[in-house]
Amino acid sequence: MRLPFDALTELLGPALLVILVGALATTASASNEGYFLNALVSVSVVVAIYVFVGISGVLSFGQISFVAVGAFAAGVMSVPVESKKGVLTSIFPFLRDHSVGNVPSLLLAAALGGAFAFLVGMPLMRLSGLAAGIATFAVLEITHNVLREWDKIGPGATTLALVPETTGALQATLGALVAIVVAFLYQRSRRGRLLRASREDPAVARSVGVNIHLERLLAFTLSGALAGFAGGLYVHLLGSITTEQVYLELTFLTLAMLVIGGLTSLWGAVIGALAVSGLDSFLSRAEQSGVHVVYTFNLWEGTRLVFLAAIMALVLIVRPSGLTGGREFRLRRIPWRGRWAGASPKPPG
Amino acid sequence: MPEAAALELDEVEVRYGSVSAVRNLSLRVGKAEIVGLIGPNGAGKSTTLHAVMGLLPAHRGEIRLHGQPLRRRSAESIARAGIALVPEGRRIFGDFTVEENLRLGLAARRKGYMGDPLAPAFELFPVLREFRRRPAGALSGGQQQQLAIGRALVSRPDILLLDEPSLGLAPLAVDGIFKAFTEIREVGTTILLVEQRAQRTVALASRTHVLVGGELRMTLGPADAEDTEKIIAAYLAS
Amino acid sequence: MSVLASIDLNTLGDAFGLGAIYALMAVGIGLVFGVLRLVNFAYGQLIMAGAYTLAYTTSWPVTASIVACFAVVVALSLAMDRLVFRPLRSSSPAVMLVTTFAVSFLLQAVALIIDLRDGTLGEVASAVAPLNQAITVGGVDIRKVTFVAVGVALGALVALALVLARTTIGLHTRAAASDFRTARLLGVRANRVIGFAVVVSGLLAGAVAVLLTVQNPFVQPAFALEDTIVVLVGVVVGGIDRLWTATLGGFAIGFVSVLVNAALPTDQTIFLPSVVYALVIVVLLLRPAGLFAWGRRAAMERV
Ligand SMILES: Nc1ncnc2c1ncn2[C@@H]1O[C@H](COP(=O)(O)OP(=O)(O)OP(=O)(O)O)[C@@H](O)[C@H]1O
Ligand SMILES: [Mg+2]
Repeated sequence: MRLPFDALTELLGPALLVILVGALATTASASNEGYFLNALVSVSVVVAIYVFVGISGVLSFGQISFVAVGAFAAGVMSVPVESKKGVLTSIFPFLRDHSVGNVPSLLLAAALGGAFAFLVGMPLMRLSGLAAGIATFAVLEITHNVLREWDKIGPGATTLALVPETTGALQATLGALVAIVVAFLYQRSRRGRLLRASREDPAVARSVGVNIHLERLLAFTLSGALAGFAGGLYVHLLGSITTEQVYLELTFLTLAMLVIGGLTSLWGAVIGALAVSGLDSFLSRAEQSGVHVVYTFNLWEGTRLVFLAAIMALVLIVRPSGLTGGREFRLRRIPWRGRWAGASPKPPG
Repeated sequence: MPEAAALELDEVEVRYGSVSAVRNLSLRVGKAEIVGLIGPNGAGKSTTLHAVMGLLPAHRGEIRLHGQPLRRRSAESIARAGIALVPEGRRIFGDFTVEENLRLGLAARRKGYMGDPLAPAFELFPVLREFRRRPAGALSGGQQQQLAIGRALVSRPDILLLDEPSLGLAPLAVDGIFKAFTEIREVGTTILLVEQRAQRTVALASRTHVLVGGELRMTLGPADAEDTEKIIAAYLAS
Repeated sequence: MSVLASIDLNTLGDAFGLGAIYALMAVGIGLVFGVLRLVNFAYGQLIMAGAYTLAYTTSWPVTASIVACFAVVVALSLAMDRLVFRPLRSSSPAVMLVTTFAVSFLLQAVALIIDLRDGTLGEVASAVAPLNQAITVGGVDIRKVTFVAVGVALGALVALALVLARTTIGLHTRAAASDFRTARLLGVRANRVIGFAVVVSGLLAGAVAVLLTVQNPFVQPAFALEDTIVVLVGVVVGGIDRLWTATLGGFAIGFVSVLVNAALPTDQTIFLPSVVYALVIVVLLLRPAGLFAWGRRAAMERV
């Protein structure tokens, strides 16, 4: 694959931004660090969703299923064996008697997420439009229902606790970088470009011999693997998790991040995740103790969600193509002279 | 001072994104006049009608109805101001009955009309009265075109814009609708007729403009109708 | 079959009752989708607002309380159209949908603040509760609300069908739902048609608020949220492109949920959602344009 300069900036923009956030996390106070780490894990999740939804143009409400599977796989398998006997009493003996380390648990999460997505995707990738949206949503419901009720594979409706909290600044940053690099390589690859072309015009793509079903399945599987991986990062960040944390709210929030950033670009996924997480953190702090930036922002208790939702709705109404306009990060030569000379670059009209 | 034309386009340019489909187009249609607009596929004929109707913004220039600029008005308000478009492909509502389709045309009718509101359609095309309870989708192509024209007429428009009304019709049906155009003009309605049947249009209209590649190429009068070579030359020369 | 033995008249009554309520919601969602091509995820919060109104006006005469409920819901529905739907009209379906998520969260967050003023979560709407009593029909107890729900649903659907078929605004609304561009070209007033759809959809949400609070008088911010999600699923499964297929879809998913719940062995009812959603997937795979959408397969490439 040839990577021209433009392509590299497309990767470097998001990557450097994530590294910057990771660096800020290490300098932040202990109480603030969590916000940065959360933002970085959000980046992983949103990039995973982007790999399918953004590139294929097919709406999916199901990607959080793979985050959930990854989170619980990584979580259950990395709780130390001696603690498991006490907390996960009804689980299959095989799962109870084995544990793995941090990195293997993340790989396991990715593998399971990918495998699950592949299985689900085989029949579902024939659908598009609202039918695809609802069918993938059904997958989310089933996944949630099974994870919540079947206590032989996990904690069921109780909290899974005692998961090693290994997602610190380094792991969160590396994790987000892995997601970004994988997404970048995929969207730059021949297959990724074919799928994107099919998004613009499925009929034409089909007529030139693109197997849309196969291409979508591939993207769905890749997205599932990245989502599982992100789920692993998430559970290692939280240390304890319930099925409700990887269900509807996370689905809506992460989709909103993607759309707010700009549905059709990797840069949009990263910007959306960071912007919404950042806003949420800012509002949380403002609600708890006030934030001082030039002026002291103090929120009336309980109004954080009101502001968050209102600002998200407002951004979508004012900028429906997202903060990035759905475009990739680019370094442009800024038309200084034009600007200072006051000459409009557009012809008068 | 001359009386304002019923419809007037003044150096109009229409764009799709950054591509301009119609450039520097000026034309006048006087009251109760039929003016033709012909040209090869992709010449910008439909684009012109869409711009008049407010479905597309004019990037430059001005479109005036009875001397009043139509700038920035929506299609629905232009329809209610007295311009009716019979769109390319007819766009009838196939699941609705013939009568329901006609009643939709009343949405744009201005106040002050008495009697059977659907009369303008039924008088011109009696078959519509006969089939008024049938689903419109079950009509023949020619009847559907009559329905589309009838639906435009019940709004009692000052100006009727027709986009390739003869498209896909059998010769006899074509005769029928061309005859109808004359009758429509006789009651005082102005017609801007976009057509591919160049010769018939030139013969019918007071003036026929030839549009090629978005620009006005030449204007023909009824006398040119027999001059096949001149018409062909107007189409082809580039 | 032994599973079917567990379905008695009582269950059937419940199934019709829930199906009727879901059918009303499906019409409310389907009408707005028809004219705006917008899936309104925040529809449930209209119902929630109505339910809170009923709760906060419990001390009023029942009729006044119900009128207040309708007024609040319709006003909110119109406000939603003006502030959110209208600016979004030219946006992509994904953006519209996600914006309605945000609106849904916004309204829930606002409700939470209002609700928590008294220090407890949740309010009780008890004025309409008497409808929940059972009456005996042929030796079987069926709750009054079941009859009311089925009656209200049938009445509302027939009335709406008449308005759509016989009146000018109905004709214009149908035309707009089938081809908005051509409708506008003919002079159909977009704002009037959309306003009509939004008001009717609000009225339906008000009726649903009353019916749901009868069954479950405990109102909290997530009230009707789950029902809305289920109805949205039903609407798409039934066929969102047409009002009547959407309505049938809503009815079917309510009806089937109750029956499946009754048919499952007691220790398996926890897996009810999985069974229902597995059915949903199967139906979507077999009939992607909608279960009831005969011969109209290609219309789904919209979102
Ligand atoms: N929606 C659109 N977006 C972009 N370009 C368009 C669009 N519609 C038309 N065009 C282009 O504008 C030009 C004029 O198109 P138009 O439909 O006005 O032609 P026409 O004269 O009506 O042709 P025909 O006789 O085939 O109907 C064509 O080059 C066409 O490709
Ligand atoms: Mg044309």
